[in-house]
Order: sequence, then structure tokens, then C-alpha cells
Amino acid sequence: MSGRVIVITSGKGGVGKTTTNANIGTALAKAGKKVVMIDTDLGLRNLDLLLGLENRIVYTIVDVVEERCKLKQALVKDKKNPNLCLLAAAQTRDKSAVTQEQLKDICEQLQKDFDFILVDCPAGIEQGFQNAVAGASEAIVVTTPEMSAVRDADRIIGLLEAKEEIKSYKLLINRVRPNLIKSNDMMSVDDVVEILSADLIGIIPEDTGIITSTNKGEPIVNDEKSLAGKAYNNVARRIIGEDVPFLNLEEPQGVMAKIKKFFSGLTGKEK
Amino acid sequence: MFHVFMEYIIDLRKGSKMDNGYIENGFIVDVSNTSKTSEIIYELSRILDLPDAQSKKVCLKLGSVDLTSAELTSIKALVESMNSEIEFISTSSTETIKSAEDLNIKVSFLENKVPTPEFNNNQAKVNNELEKALDKIFGDDTTEIKTFAQGKDIKKLKEELTSQNILTEGPATENIEKIVNIKPEAITPENQMETINKSSIDNAEETQDSSENIENELENFNNQLENANKIEGLDLEDVDFNLDNIRKSLRETEKLPTLYIQRTLRSGQSITSDGNIVIIGDANPGSEIIAKGDITVWGILGGIAHAGSAGNQYARIRALKMNAIQLRIADVFARRPDNINIPYIQKTDTFVPEEACIRKKQIIIHKIHEA
Repeated sequence: MSGRVIVITSGKGGVGKTTTNANIGTALAKAGKKVVMIDTDLGLRNLDLLLGLENRIVYTIVDVVEERCKLKQALVKDKKNPNLCLLAAAQTRDKSAVTQEQLKDICEQLQKDFDFILVDCPAGIEQGFQNAVAGASEAIVVTTPEMSAVRDADRIIGLLEAKEEIKSYKLLINRVRPNLIKSNDMMSVDDVVEILSADLIGIIPEDTGIITSTNKGEPIVNDEKSLAGKAYNNVARRIIGEDVPFLNLEEPQGVMAKIKKFFSGLTGKEK
Repeated sequence: MFHVFMEYIIDLRKGSKMDNGYIENGFIVDVSNTSKTSEIIYELSRILDLPDAQSKKVCLKLGSVDLTSAELTSIKALVESMNSEIEFISTSSTETIKSAEDLNIKVSFLENKVPTPEFNNNQAKVNNELEKALDKIFGDDTTEIKTFAQGKDIKKLKEELTSQNILTEGPATENIEKIVNIKPEAITPENQMETINKSSIDNAEETQDSSENIENELENFNNQLENANKIEGLDLEDVDFNLDNIRKSLRETEKLPTLYIQRTLRSGQSITSDGNIVIIGDANPGSEIIAKGDITVWGILGGIAHAGSAGNQYARIRALKMNAIQLRIADVFARRPDNINIPYIQKTDTFVPEEACIRKKQIIIHKIHEA
């Protein structure tokens, strides 16, 4: 078995790399794939929090590279899904504690046992980014429909294209707000795709459920009702190779939404 | 990374001014894990910036870095700019020794002469136990690792205590091994899912329910703590859990030097000591405290605490509020229950000082008595 190593990156911070990683990883595991997530954001780790695994971490990636433990020991199994593992980053060290070669080596070892290795990349284009990309052969570039995030994503795509190891990269547009796009206050998905000229793998709507799911340490894909959860599930299915149409984000989401829409229509905020 | 190793007792190669090897009004800065001059200067300036570290005599533990006399001069200047002075340095590099001699800086051995208490110091054994603990964490179905003071376990424990006469003579470690390992009713993935599903917040309408759930959980947690409290009393009065040994070992940690820190430990900061650690302030989530002796936090303990890191089973962790993500004492691990959402707990103003210690190879938390 030789697993696919996918790096999830963005350049800009706060666009939802870690959330995307946690959700795609969980969705892939739910689909029966063996998944391991590697957090390479040394010193500012968050992936464990989003998965609710913070209290289970004993060894980190730094302990693995400094040979204080075996790789297998450092893999933290998910609470619900035995197919899902996390290799946590060290909180008390900085990016220089791990080198590109070491990460590459870890990815190669994990490829034998797992179908998917998802690497969570830190923000920026410095050593942390270079480390995260080192072992990967595919990339998912996360961006939001904002000028700054698109600009940074463009820079990242340039860097990824320059790397021989990265065979393909896909674009994921996060925090899309259909209402704002409709009223021309936000760049549309098509605009972003046109600027970046990259293949789209997913469109994730803005969802307040993300905040509660982050606080609870429970990825939103576990919530059947959530639109963002569905969108992430679809991304996972596209990664596996299924042909899934993009969600229609504009469908009304319930009575409350309709009433809100009605009132905002009255006050003219929408226009 | 921030390291201050407090090794009060040192050995000077020649001509010691200091009584019994103690440095008066001074401390040792261990930068031996650095490999570059810039790192040394960075670490030094960080440490010397602390108000407690100023106007003191500084002993530098340099490791194997080769320093030219120019570099050493700049380090000396840095120390002097903080109103401190270099008492001596300790290094394994001959070049550094040469440049130190040029600058009239004393070079000396640093030897940790703190008497090592007779703990379960057998490293192979400790490692073995660690492996076992890890197997428990990463084992497939039943997670046997002890979460903080679970009511059911405590009841079982109690039964165990009354039904089995575990009072045998000999060293405590032996006793512990003789005791049948009680398998706590661990959180299995299934019932975990249940609790999570129950408390899941999807819509605004459900928020009310979930906050009630959290309150219930808190209540449960408190009940469990009280149960833990009971067994503490039982232990000391009725069962006499090798009381002599416990007392003896407690005295052992008393003998150790204590590192005293008056600031809040933030995420990513790590404090290591060969003795005890006292922190006046909070230890935020993501921080790490590792001590060979006891750990006391006069504030909220939210990070990872490892007491008795060299294998002392009787080391204790105390905090005004125990919210630790993980507690480790010697080779025993415990993690925070998944169903307790810590941001909600931190909102309360009530502080109940608690202490964690090992009972029968499991970490339990109990309230600290006046006695």
C-alpha cells in the first residue's frame, strides 16, 4: 500500500487550513480509508484541539525525529474512528526542530500503513511551509473570497508549481457567503477560480456551526445537518475520485432564514 | 524554549569563595543545549530580563559551543548590562576555556550534588512502565488509562481495599505490584459518542439543553472529586497505605531544591527542574511543567504537569484549580475527561485547592485538607 500525501496549505493565516484538515480527514476516515493527519505547525498547534485529542497527546513529532519514541507510539487514535490518527506537533518547540528530510522520511514511513496522509501546513512561506510540503505529492490550497487571501494563495501556487514533487494542486474556497456574492459585496467563486486558474475541489459555505464544533473538539462533518459538513464530505469524496456535483449554497436553510430574509428585504439591507 | 536549571550545590575546581559550594545570591543558567552564539545570547537575554534574575551572580553552563574571546566578551557585556556579573562558566570546549582565560573569567566544573533520593530510579523499569501506559492509551478498544477520579473506579477501589488485605510489609513499590490491577470502567468509544451526541449543539434552540448538560457534567465531576476525597481519608486512617514509606518519600521531596517562579506560564513555555517547582500564577493550556519533585501551582493549572519525572511515585501535583490537560506522576498518566469543556469551568470564581497523587497505580485528585 502506498498512501497519498496531501498537504493542505494557504499562505495566509486564518482561512481555515486546520479546520479543512480536520474535516477532510474525518470524512475520509468515515468513508473507510485509513487516514493520518500530521500537524506541522510546531509551536502553534491547533489540530489536536479541533479533533478534541489534546488530552491524549503524549509524544509529538519532535519526539519522533529526536528518537525518544517510535513513530507508531506517537500516533494518537481518534476518539470515534479507529481509522483516523493524528501525529501532533510539539507546542514547546519552534519550526526549526524538524527538517525537511525528517518530515519526508516520516511521510514515507506512514505511506506504508495509511491510505491518506494529510499534512497541516503552518501559515507563511518560510521553513514551516517548506517542511510541510517536503513529503507531499499533492496539495490543496485553501483560500477565502477575499483579495488578501487570494493574493497569498496565488503566491503559494507559484511556489508549489516550482516544486517537482508536487504533482497536482487543487483549490478549496472556504467561508463563501452566497448572500454577499449575490449583492456583489464578495468575490464570487468564479472570480477566484479565474484569478488563480486552478482546479476547484470544493466550495465551503460560511457556517456558524464551525465555531461551536471547534470549541467542542468535534469536526463538523459529524453533523449531518450542517451545510459546511456536507460540503466537506463532498470534498473528501472528490479526493477519493468520485464525481460529486457542487452544492447549491443558495437554498434556503429553514424557517428562520426565510424570516430573516424577509425582514432584511424590508429594511433594504440586502440591496 | 526556556530552561532554568536550578542546581544550587556546585563544585568548584579551585579556590572556592562560597560556603559549602552554594552560590550566594546567584544562579546557574544552563544554555548547554544551544549550538550557536546567537542562541546563547537570545536565551540569556530572555532569562536575565526577569526581574528576579537581575543583580545576581551568574554561572553559565555553556556546553560544547566554541566561543572566541570576542564572542565571550559580548556575552559578558550582556550579563553586565543587566547589573549581574559572571561568576564562572562551565564548558566542554577547549577554545572557550582559552578565551575565558584571556578574559579572566573563571572556568569550573558544574556538578550536580543534590542528593538523589532513592526513588524507583531504574530507568529500564520506568521505560517498561511507560510502554505499558502507552499501550493502554493506544490500545484498540478499551482505553484503560485513568481519567481523573471517576466515581465508579473509586467505589471499586474501596471495595478492593476492604475485601483484600493488601497490607504487606516491604517497600511500597513492591506492594503496588502485588495489588491486582483494577480495571477502571474506562471511557469506551461508544459511551463517549453518547455523551458527545447528547451535548451537541446544532441549533440555537438546543443551546439551553447543552448548557444544562455541561452543568450536569460539572456536578458529576465534583461528585467524583468528593468520592476521591473519601478514599483519601480511608487510606490514611483505616488502611495505612505504607504510611511510613509515604512519609519517608515525602521528606525526600522536601530535601530537593525548589524552583520558584512568579509569573504566568503561557502556551509553549516549558519549565524543567531537578527539584520541586512552585509557580505563583497560572499555567495556561499548552504549557509544560516537568519536575523530579513536587509541582505546586498557585493558580489555575491548565497545561501538562509531570511530577516525579525520575520515577518518584510519591510526588504530588497541587493547584488552586486543577484543569490540567494531562497529569503525569512518575510513570502514571492521566488525562482530562473528554466530556468536560474547560472554558466553561474556568468561568467560575470558586477555587478549591486540589492535589493529585498516585493511589494504586492510578492518579486520583482530592481536595487539600487543612490538616
